[in-house]
Amino acid sequence: MAIKIKEFINRLKEYNTTWKTEPRSGQLHSISVLFDTPDQIIEAAKATANAGYKKFDVFTPYPVHGMDEAMKMKESKIGWIALLAGITGAITALLMIGWMGGIDYKNIIGGKPFFALPGSIPITFELTVLFSALVTTAAMVALFNKLPWTSNPLHETPFMKSVTSDKFGLVIEAADKHFDERNVENFLGQLHGHSIEKVYYPIPDVGKTKTPVFDLKFMGVIAVTAILTAIASYAVLNKVLYTQPFNWMWEQPRLNPQAQSNFFGDGFGMRMPVEGTVARGFIPYEYKGMPDSVIKLLANPLALTEEVIQRGKVKFDIFCSPCHGYYGQGDGRLKGQFPNPPTLHSEKVRNWQDGNIYNVITNGQNVMPAYDKSVAREDRWAIIHYIRVLQRSQNAKDTDLEGK
Amino acid sequence: MSFDSTYTKELPLVESKTSFSEIDNVIAAPMESKPGKTWFLLLALSVTMLLFGAVCLGLTFWFGIGLWGNNQPVGWAFDITNFVFWIGIGHAGTLISAILFLLRQRWRTAIARFAEAMTIFAVMTAGIFPLIHVGRPWLAGYLLPYPNQNNVWPNFYSPLMWDVFAVSTYLTVSFVFWYIGLVPDFATLRDRTKAGIKKALFTILSLGWRNSNRHWQHYERTYLILAGLSTPLVLSVHTIVSFDFAVSVIPGWHTTIFPPYFVAGAVFSGFGMVSTVLIFVRKVFHMEHIITVNHLEKMNKILLATGSIVGYAYAMEFFIAWYSGNPFEMFVFINRAFGPYAWAYWTMISCNVIFPQLFWFKKIRRAIPVTLVIVILVNVGMWFERFVIIVTSLHRDFLPSSWGMFVPTLYDTGILIGSFGLFFTLVLLFARTLPVISIAEIKAVVPGAQPTHKHHTNGQH
Amino acid sequence: MEYIKKALPDKFAKTGWILLVLGIIILAAAFAVDSRRAFFDYLWIYMFMISIGVGALALVALEYLVGATWSTPFRRIDEFLAAIIMLLVLMVIPLFFGIHDLYHWSHNEIVSGDAILQSKSPYLNMNFFTIRTIFCLVVWLFFFFMMIRNSEKQDLTGDPRLTKRNNIFGTAFAPLFVITLTITAIDWMMSLEPHWFSTMYGIYYFSGTMVAAFSVTTLFAVRLKEGHYLDPKINNEHYYSLGAMMFAFNTFWGYIAFSQYLLIWYADLPEENFWLLMRWEGSWKFVSIALIFIHFVIPFLVLVGRSQKTNPRILKIMAIWLLFAHALDLYWLIMPTYNNAGAPLGWQELAFPFLVTGITMVVFNLRASKRNLVPVRDPKLESGLNFHL
Repeated sequence: MAIKIKEFINRLKEYNTTWKTEPRSGQLHSISVLFDTPDQIIEAAKATANAGYKKFDVFTPYPVHGMDEAMKMKESKIGWIALLAGITGAITALLMIGWMGGIDYKNIIGGKPFFALPGSIPITFELTVLFSALVTTAAMVALFNKLPWTSNPLHETPFMKSVTSDKFGLVIEAADKHFDERNVENFLGQLHGHSIEKVYYPIPDVGKTKTPVFDLKFMGVIAVTAILTAIASYAVLNKVLYTQPFNWMWEQPRLNPQAQSNFFGDGFGMRMPVEGTVARGFIPYEYKGMPDSVIKLLANPLALTEEVIQRGKVKFDIFCSPCHGYYGQGDGRLKGQFPNPPTLHSEKVRNWQDGNIYNVITNGQNVMPAYDKSVAREDRWAIIHYIRVLQRSQNAKDTDLEGK
Repeated sequence: MSFDSTYTKELPLVESKTSFSEIDNVIAAPMESKPGKTWFLLLALSVTMLLFGAVCLGLTFWFGIGLWGNNQPVGWAFDITNFVFWIGIGHAGTLISAILFLLRQRWRTAIARFAEAMTIFAVMTAGIFPLIHVGRPWLAGYLLPYPNQNNVWPNFYSPLMWDVFAVSTYLTVSFVFWYIGLVPDFATLRDRTKAGIKKALFTILSLGWRNSNRHWQHYERTYLILAGLSTPLVLSVHTIVSFDFAVSVIPGWHTTIFPPYFVAGAVFSGFGMVSTVLIFVRKVFHMEHIITVNHLEKMNKILLATGSIVGYAYAMEFFIAWYSGNPFEMFVFINRAFGPYAWAYWTMISCNVIFPQLFWFKKIRRAIPVTLVIVILVNVGMWFERFVIIVTSLHRDFLPSSWGMFVPTLYDTGILIGSFGLFFTLVLLFARTLPVISIAEIKAVVPGAQPTHKHHTNGQH
Repeated sequence: MEYIKKALPDKFAKTGWILLVLGIIILAAAFAVDSRRAFFDYLWIYMFMISIGVGALALVALEYLVGATWSTPFRRIDEFLAAIIMLLVLMVIPLFFGIHDLYHWSHNEIVSGDAILQSKSPYLNMNFFTIRTIFCLVVWLFFFFMMIRNSEKQDLTGDPRLTKRNNIFGTAFAPLFVITLTITAIDWMMSLEPHWFSTMYGIYYFSGTMVAAFSVTTLFAVRLKEGHYLDPKINNEHYYSLGAMMFAFNTFWGYIAFSQYLLIWYADLPEENFWLLMRWEGSWKFVSIALIFIHFVIPFLVLVGRSQKTNPRILKIMAIWLLFAHALDLYWLIMPTYNNAGAPLGWQELAFPFLVTGITMVVFNLRASKRNLVPVRDPKLESGLNFHL
């Protein structure tokens, strides 16, 4: 590994030195001139612009006031980019908050509306600034200034080294319409500058070589980067985010219900309650095994109200209807899998007292299991009220009709 | 200029007429020379602090935040105190680079770069605290609104969510602002550096910048836009931090003055920290003629102003707590000033309001040792301000049965020390690896750097 | 510099006096018809005049405090407007006759039946209230006389030490300005609803005052420049600075107003939110919404660009617009206590525009007729005229 890094550094060094020392063999790029004071460069820029040159540029170690006017440059339009990006950011934020909080995942927070503008303003503001700043910067670098461009012919010339330190430079490019080597040299000579120099491209026929974007190596790097990015994003979003570095709370010693445990001698994790323990709210059923004549004296403690009947219907539909059917006719959904249950509309059941039905629900009868564990006492009585309603509905009398 | 400059307070920004290449040399010197003993000593100190903090933090990761002194009712303590403190420190950088830029305060150039770097480091340091304070920082990804497996979106009306957006935006934009400012300097360094890996790095980082005026034009406009965006951004960040407290209904937290009061406090503490660091930097790197006493004096004036604004806010809070007629509100403030944490409250008042009042005197403003003492006190005071706000408001809940005390543990203190270690380590590394003063900008304010505008004044000069 | 004083046209003074007299007539009629309503209108006028007069003095102080030079060519505008402070001393007297109409904490029988008001009575009582009002007026008057005297003396002597002296006065006035303005805002406006409280209130009124002060300065500066009363060297960069100041403080107002609203809205405590709910009753709702747009959204969008800040026409319109916005803001702060059901708007409220413009024009004219419109021998003037960003 260490050897490889060393090799890499050596190659970088080599690259830098050859690039610098090799005599340039390409076409003429431009002619440059240097000045010592800001006043001189302003005058020179004015003169160049007035002489009709368009493809010229001024190089200063820092922005010089009044240079834009001297060079007759138009006002920068980058402010519009900032504005557009900012508006995009604001709209993005409002749509995001509006859709996520107001439509897709509604939550009541502090009694506020699902979409509340005052509460959305902080994030909207932040995204406005973020979008605007990033897009403006990217546009300035790439769109307006065509950077990064490290292979510009002006780089690594004595001219560039002067203007990045303490001199002010002016360059007229060969690509200018009025460019004529001798004329330009003469013109620059009159500007009271010094160090007039010609700048050449480093290699001949620049621009005719194939675009480096289609270079196989370059494309390979791009492809590998893309694949790695995709894998990394997938891993981060789907794996890393859900990893639990420390699982103390999950992995603490505990007894799982129904699971084996060596902690107790009997090998069970669950414990029996202490003998004689009574569950909360438990009232023993004292009529078990008693004759019907006694049982029928049990009266329904619930008042006959619509609420109770509705409750009875709910519980009946859950616990009774699978066998007895929704209308108690013995045609439940499990028909055929068990011996058919009897209809609840038979003479016998209709003549039963509430207590008899309660007894059957509580203790079961024939194939029917006991429901004392799964249906609460009040619910059983409510079911009985509902059964009475069902029975009445199947055996309605004339007097039940309205108006009689 | 023909008028007497003493009446306009326009003192020279760079002492004596320094040549451009000399500026290059002075600013690049720390990067091109071997660091001295002092630097290594300071680095060793701050790395030790950093490691101590890292160990405490690692143990916190392993065993959970039960290691801290946080309890019922003090659920927020050092963690959030440190967060708000460091975010506050991070405000001076953007203030100096953006607001003073918009106000055309050219004296900012000497200190802007350093302050911006400190902003980034401080916000990075601050960002650690909300993450570790949630207890299971590896789940922080859920803060981002992305379609996760729970089909749940974050709550956009929570101030803590606002924090996520504000702090990350602030860090990003500050970084971009800082980097954009560095690009022309990278170009200068690239052309100074002989071949080598350094040169390759500078070439890449400078993006091929050529100091072309056609580039400067868009660059300057972008810089102005970024400054214009950063100014409300910097206000919004601490405003939102203040919302963390003020949108609640806890007496001592819920008060309408919090947003501007927090912003002023942040600027105050940030300037305190910038001054503290700059006093050392100008000495160690021999930059006294670029970072002059005039700069320090101007910063002291801002400290005086913001310190007084903070004092106004303390007074308003106290007055309105009484004026409101709300017994809980009154109790919290009396408890702050005379309860078990009264020492913290009075530390805060004296460091933030009383000592900076010494800056009314010109002699004290220009005396560097005294300034150093006061700015360090300001740092201490501002840390205690956040401590007072958080802990004293929480520690005595509505019912006396839920009263408690917060006592920091070794881990609380260790992480606090570690945060200073991280910050100073980054600052020290920055001072050696990047230009601590903007080369291009300082050149632009050297006397004689700008054209004389003959056409405007008709040759009066 | 060479300066030849040019007198303001007679039309200016005449219009001012006519507006002033009309305003007084309307106000007198309003008192005759419904004195309670008239007192509220009058309080509204009084608070606005504080914004203009004391705000102008604050701008003078601010220039000395920060050592700004760009504003020196306009400083006299603020010095003239600051003379409104002398008038405030007279204007406050009728208000004291309306205390019982305006403030229900001033009724002992109400206070004795209200525990909260009782607890506030050490602050909200007639004697202390009067003392505070006098204190504020004395502070303003003192600094007004000292700073303006020094500045005017300099026109004759050209003594640069006067600038130094004013630097000291300006510095001393800055904290006192904030304190007196806070006291004024709490006493005269916040205590209209004595149960309500907000720590932000002083800053809220301060931000509005700064907007109004910069707007009125901009309005006069642009008009005077257009009429060639000021130095021809005043250029776009001066305009830009004025526009930027209006923009900055107006945005600051928006920030303060939003923060105060958001915190009350979010916490939704009944002891605070009733104040906002009062401003959401009936037609007040529309005033509240209009305030957001008139005072913040529209001026923000108009003034955010650079070219608008250097366009004198837009500056003039925005200055008037923002003065209107500040008037609306004060109306929104004061009048709901008079009528909670809906925004009262009738001929009585016409007294406001007439009196406010009338007083401003008359005072400005009276001061300007005897003094230089430019601080001719101020050592900062030349630098201020040659100001470049």
